[in-house]
Amino acid sequence: MALRKFGILVVLAVGSLHISGYGQAGAARAKGAPASGLEIPATTSAINSDKPLSQRVVWYNIEAKYDAKTHQLDGSEVLTYHNLTGQAQDHFPFHLYLNGFQPTATWMREAKIQGTRDTRYEEWKKEYFGSDEIQSFEVVGQGDLTAKLHYIQPDDTNKDDKSVIEAVLPKPVAPGEFVQFKIKFHDQFPETQARTGWKKDFTLGGQWFPKVGVWWQGAWNCHQFHVMTEFFADFGVYDVKLTVPQNEIVGASGVLVQEANNSDGSKTMTYHGDDIHDFAWTVSPRYKVGEDTYNGTMGPVKLRILMQPAHWSQEERHDKILKETLEHFEKWYGPYPYKTLTLVDPEGQEAGGMEYPTFITGDTTWWMPDGLHFPELVVEHEFGHQYWYGMVATNEFEDAWMDEGINSYTEVKILDDILGRNASVINWFGMNAGERDVQRFQFIGVDDLDPMARKGWQFASLNSYGGITYGKTASVLLTLEKIIGEETMQKAMHTYFMRYRFTHPTKEDFLKTIEEVYGHDLHWYFDKAVYGTQVFDYEVKSVDSVPADWYVEKRKPEKKGETLYESTVMLHRKGDFVFPVDAEVIFDNGEKVREHWDGQDRWVKFHYLKKAKVVSAEVDPDHQIHLDRNNFNNSRTDEPNRAPTRKLANYWAFVTQWCSQFLSWWAV
Amino acid sequence: MSGETGLLSGAWRVVMRNKRYIFWFWLLNITLAEFGTAAYRNSIHAVLDNSLYADRLLHGFNLIEYFELMARPETGSMMSSEMPAMYFALLFMVATIFLMPGVFRQYTSEYRVSKEEFYRTCGKNLWRFVRLLLIYAVIAIPLAAILFGIRGGLLKAADKSTNELLPFYVGLIALAVIFLIMTLVRVWFDLAEVDIVVRDQPIVRKSVGAGFRYSRRFWGRLLGAYVGISVLALLVLVVGIWLWHVLVPASSWVGAVLISQIMLILWLGARFWQRAVAAEFHLREMLIAPGFSRPADLEPVPAPTPAMPSPAAGG
Repeated sequence: MALRKFGILVVLAVGSLHISGYGQAGAARAKGAPASGLEIPATTSAINSDKPLSQRVVWYNIEAKYDAKTHQLDGSEVLTYHNLTGQAQDHFPFHLYLNGFQPTATWMREAKIQGTRDTRYEEWKKEYFGSDEIQSFEVVGQGDLTAKLHYIQPDDTNKDDKSVIEAVLPKPVAPGEFVQFKIKFHDQFPETQARTGWKKDFTLGGQWFPKVGVWWQGAWNCHQFHVMTEFFADFGVYDVKLTVPQNEIVGASGVLVQEANNSDGSKTMTYHGDDIHDFAWTVSPRYKVGEDTYNGTMGPVKLRILMQPAHWSQEERHDKILKETLEHFEKWYGPYPYKTLTLVDPEGQEAGGMEYPTFITGDTTWWMPDGLHFPELVVEHEFGHQYWYGMVATNEFEDAWMDEGINSYTEVKILDDILGRNASVINWFGMNAGERDVQRFQFIGVDDLDPMARKGWQFASLNSYGGITYGKTASVLLTLEKIIGEETMQKAMHTYFMRYRFTHPTKEDFLKTIEEVYGHDLHWYFDKAVYGTQVFDYEVKSVDSVPADWYVEKRKPEKKGETLYESTVMLHRKGDFVFPVDAEVIFDNGEKVREHWDGQDRWVKFHYLKKAKVVSAEVDPDHQIHLDRNNFNNSRTDEPNRAPTRKLANYWAFVTQWCSQFLSWWAV
Repeated sequence: MSGETGLLSGAWRVVMRNKRYIFWFWLLNITLAEFGTAAYRNSIHAVLDNSLYADRLLHGFNLIEYFELMARPETGSMMSSEMPAMYFALLFMVATIFLMPGVFRQYTSEYRVSKEEFYRTCGKNLWRFVRLLLIYAVIAIPLAAILFGIRGGLLKAADKSTNELLPFYVGLIALAVIFLIMTLVRVWFDLAEVDIVVRDQPIVRKSVGAGFRYSRRFWGRLLGAYVGISVLALLVLVVGIWLWHVLVPASSWVGAVLISQIMLILWLGARFWQRAVAAEFHLREMLIAPGFSRPADLEPVPAPTPAMPSPAAGG
């Protein structure tokens, strides 16, 4: 059945090529020999698989020499592009991300207004400057097009933005055909402000070479570099020869093929990557290197951990969490097919917490007690991106929640399992914090301005982007577990990964996969949670118990277990997010009653006639709803319990007293 | 060293003889802190008292839940809780300025100072102490600003190093140096305070000058005593907080109050010990200085005797 279907598809495809006027090329492709004689190699030396895993669209062959003193790089790139767009292409947009680090660029303008994760731009410094300049641009068989290149701004009207350049080819590239670009470029890396650049003697080379856009949903998708957005690229093969000073310790995406010393005091490191869509590297003369092997389901994975010397005592922590995370991802979501994984502990925080294929950066400091799990959190999160970005390569510009948010959700699940639900972030000196609480707090800390399904650069603010993309998505998916069950959710995530790995799925692909695995329609939830900005807030408005015979003039004194009470519990939906909830009512005889409310009306009242008073009522007693913006009003006790207030007030009093004494100590 | 030990032990005896002051200052401290905490307490009780969610703050300390509590609009802004605490901290400082002359009078006297004499000394020296505080502020604030500025510069320079630990060590050492210098300034003005009270000195600058001369001349001895006590106070704080964490169950309010207040009493006692060092030093070194005459005001005030009936009235 499957073979027959495939045969029909081939016939239809060949037929359509003839009709569209590219019959010759199509026929040549059908025989497996492109007219150009070009092809993308079917190498597998960087993966634990004997055949390619992705539909390879690009083959980047780059030779680059990095000057660690000036932080400049000279490179030549041969890009072989396979036109699988289904139509002839003569326009090719390229990302020049490093041009974002210029004072009038869109990235920097946005950064000036909103700041970045680590930097506030009070004044312009020359170290901030970064550039990626194309020195020559040749299309094999079509000549030198350097003079015809022009910058485009698909997202805004900022004509000064040079983060996207377009080449218009004299001859279109037929569908199924290959085209080869030969590009010479020169990079100036900025002092690290976000993700890429240098700091002291450390450099992280990310988004450093001209990179072609993605033909997606019938159009070129090549957005400008924005302060809030990340990246999107096609899968392919990377062969990179990187020449650096001999004293540098190097880490990079892919597998190291060769290392050779040159007579000028430099060395050339040759890397190869299969089925990846980006390539990053790092150098520093001070890295301390840890190595280990993880025996994955598809084969061994070589782990390489490059640590700052002052953090070397934490190497074991990094290694441990990396292996535990790998194990969880393989068990729950699917196999990790690559032969390597490089974990970089960068200098400073600006390049920390970043993901590239088979290459991630951590984030730690020299003082990090075992109970503070921040390094574990970052390593887990960035490794998770090998799945949600690396393999399931969603559009990070347009659907940031699909990589950051889904990854935050799996981060909660995995860290819960490894470090404990309420202590996965902090478990130190009597204080604790769990990752699911952190994600929810990030979400409730921002206003209801943006839906998850908003393009990254269109969010109201960097805070809103962070709170919604990471925190809300994680909370939405955790709450979804209440609806469909934890097991079904895990099955859906596994199905989604296996089905869409090495592709560029859309949000609908993800949501439909969940519905399919669950077997029921969920649009009532997704419409509000994913596409909407409705506020979720349920409260227990009141709990009351009065003696049923209150009107009798000479009634018996109230006695526990004997007096009959009329009790009322009122629930209130304060927000506009309609969601069915459970409530638990507890009586003073220990009896517990569970109620269900569809949440359609604004409020509901439950009445009881029992020989017991209501002690408390609680919405979502199993604590499965993570979208509620106020958990304090989810429950109400009949009698106040002043102990928590007393405890916190004592802390406050202690600090106040000590500060008073400290002030007087120095002043009088 | 023996002189310093003698100074410390002598001062310790003075403090022990007059423990009541530590108690009264602690009482004042806790009372003002209670007022200062009232706004915070009121702001959180409405959110916490009837919520089962508060349980995670009682049996443990869920940091995120605490942040969530403080972010609730019903809790109000942090500022609204912080400001009253700050005002009452300032009030404690003002009270200390007012009461400290009386304490110094007792610390430099061999007899038990009566309430009347205590408050008379306080009242008499209030304006002098305010002037002294102003002079102290004029000297200490710019000095601290310069020292912290230098520290900032050093930190910035150290931050350029590839040794990540260097800024930490530089910062720590700089902080220690600042602490020593500022402690020396504190010694100087503590001596001036004692001098004002003991000599009944209306011209504050003279006491400032005397304090400066003696703190410069005996800086090693005095600084050693002050730093020793400060280190002890710091240890009390660190060990106290550790014991609080280890011994006191998260939900035990009584235990928490007990250990926190013991810490605060000891912390307060440490500062009184330093002041007693200044008083003891003054008696030992400054009072015997040539040209110093004991003011009449230093003589014990006789206890009030019942008025004798006048013979004329009796006639």
